[in-house]
Amino acid sequence: MIELSQVSKQFGDETAVDAINLKVAKGKFCALVGTSGCGKSTTLRMINRLIERSSGDILLDGQPIEAYDPVKLRRRIGYVIQSTGLFPHWTVARNIGLVPRLLKWSADDIQARVGELMSLLGLPLEEFAHKYPHQLSGGQAQRVGVARALAADPDILLMDEPFGALDPITRIKLQDELAALQARLHKTVVFVTHDMDEALKLADHLVVMREGQIVQQGTPLSLLQRPVDAFVESLLGGLERGLKQAALSRVKDHMSSLGPTLPSQYRIAADCSLRQALSVMLRDHADRLTVVDQHDVPIGELSLRRIVKEAQLEKGTSRDA
Amino acid sequence: MTHSATRRQRRVPHAGQKRFWTRPLLWGVLLCICVAGIPYAEGLFRWLEPDARQVIYQRAPFYALLGRHMLVVGAAAVVTIAVGVGAGIAVTRRRGRDFLPLVAQLASLGQTFPPVAVLALAVPILGFGTLPIIMALMLYGLLPIVRNTLAGLQEVEGDIKTAARAMGMTPVQILQRVELPLAAPVILAGIRTSVTINIATAALGATVGASNLGDPIIAGIINGNMAYVIQGALIIALLALTLDSLFDSLQTRLRQRLSAFPR
Repeated sequence: MIELSQVSKQFGDETAVDAINLKVAKGKFCALVGTSGCGKSTTLRMINRLIERSSGDILLDGQPIEAYDPVKLRRRIGYVIQSTGLFPHWTVARNIGLVPRLLKWSADDIQARVGELMSLLGLPLEEFAHKYPHQLSGGQAQRVGVARALAADPDILLMDEPFGALDPITRIKLQDELAALQARLHKTVVFVTHDMDEALKLADHLVVMREGQIVQQGTPLSLLQRPVDAFVESLLGGLERGLKQAALSRVKDHMSSLGPTLPSQYRIAADCSLRQALSVMLRDHADRLTVVDQHDVPIGELSLRRIVKEAQLEKGTSRDA
Repeated sequence: MTHSATRRQRRVPHAGQKRFWTRPLLWGVLLCICVAGIPYAEGLFRWLEPDARQVIYQRAPFYALLGRHMLVVGAAAVVTIAVGVGAGIAVTRRRGRDFLPLVAQLASLGQTFPPVAVLALAVPILGFGTLPIIMALMLYGLLPIVRNTLAGLQEVEGDIKTAARAMGMTPVQILQRVELPLAAPVILAGIRTSVTINIATAALGATVGASNLGDPIIAGIINGNMAYVIQGALIIALLALTLDSLFDSLQTRLRQRLSAFPR
């Protein structure tokens, strides 16, 4: 668990981070979002003491971070950056095995761990182990970066715009992989990004920052439903907020059972997001879709009218609350 | 995928390993031939200086002069490398950063001093012989090493150093395993410049009584004997070429071993 209370950082006269409070529970994925220079990266770097804070307290598992030696602390915290920071003179395998080697694991253990991580991240050992970073594509290099961060099985993972430099297709692929990885490994993740879609897709806890302060934090859904001000609303996509919210829920949570009416000829998989379903409705001029499972067997129906009615109800209850 | 395949071909591991050492070896052999062969080439030099009493320098055998010459350059190089690389490392650390401009300026100052002037100043203090010339070579050879050490270390990308720190490497580990290996080709280039310049400069030592390959040159100038001058100059030139191509091979080799990352 990571806890920041009243944490500030001044660089000279400039306040980069201004008395922020943040709590990331164990196994949760926290995304810090904001425009450039809002202090999100500084916040991240204060956690592994790459930057020492000016005031406030940071606790890891209840212990103040000063209780840890900075070098040992960093070996326990994974760190991924946008430019990967891989060592260009080391092979992929050696790069990944860095922290275990620093921790003086045995050669066999290191080798086994490197192999395990490479298969976890979809990097075939024979093909990539002996390559050098400059021989990798951006996506492959960032996979190596993530593998290196995970090498010593840290509880905490800090990621500073890890996918910011990748092309959109690779970025989405790696986001999906990270989400799948997180579902398996349950690390405590603090993830910095300026891409709201990325944050909405991955985060359990969303933190919006501006000028060193936290403007709003909460679950992605709660922010989408009730942004506190125009800044947060614009970050969340303004008029497209409805679609972003739809992207967070699955078709299977909104479908009704197959009725007596003739089923729609247009189909959508139950695991798709509501946003994708709405897109299919627009594309195919259909206000009803047949929901199918992975074997293409119809299991329900999704109707536009019902979705709208649900949203109305939701809005009603959220107003009351 | 295709571009990574072509890139891999550019870095052919261990291919042409032998080719690395052919050029320095060739120059080295030529050097040996000259050192051993000049005393037998009297006819040739006689043709150059028909009126001289002697045409082959004989006050000391050439191999002894060569040995002493290399010793002087070598001793100066060892100290210069230790001081130069050490200073370069020291002023790029957090604590020494304030001294960076000072060290950079001192090193350039060392090179603006003509070695002859250093000799003139050093002789009254250190006496005649080998010490003053080593002193002069050290001062003269410091700049390229300091400058390249600084450039090499500063060229290492900030993100790589940040990542190293964030992974929990200690400052010493970062220096040894990341910064120095990445800066090595540039530092080696500085050492190469320094040593190659000093091979020629060391000949000045003959003016203050350090016996080396400068002896035949100075003696030749004094006696108006071109044959002596050519003998000394020829061996010095070949020595410089041998060492320079040796450094060149080392550099190529180092770059390859460092994975030929694009720079």
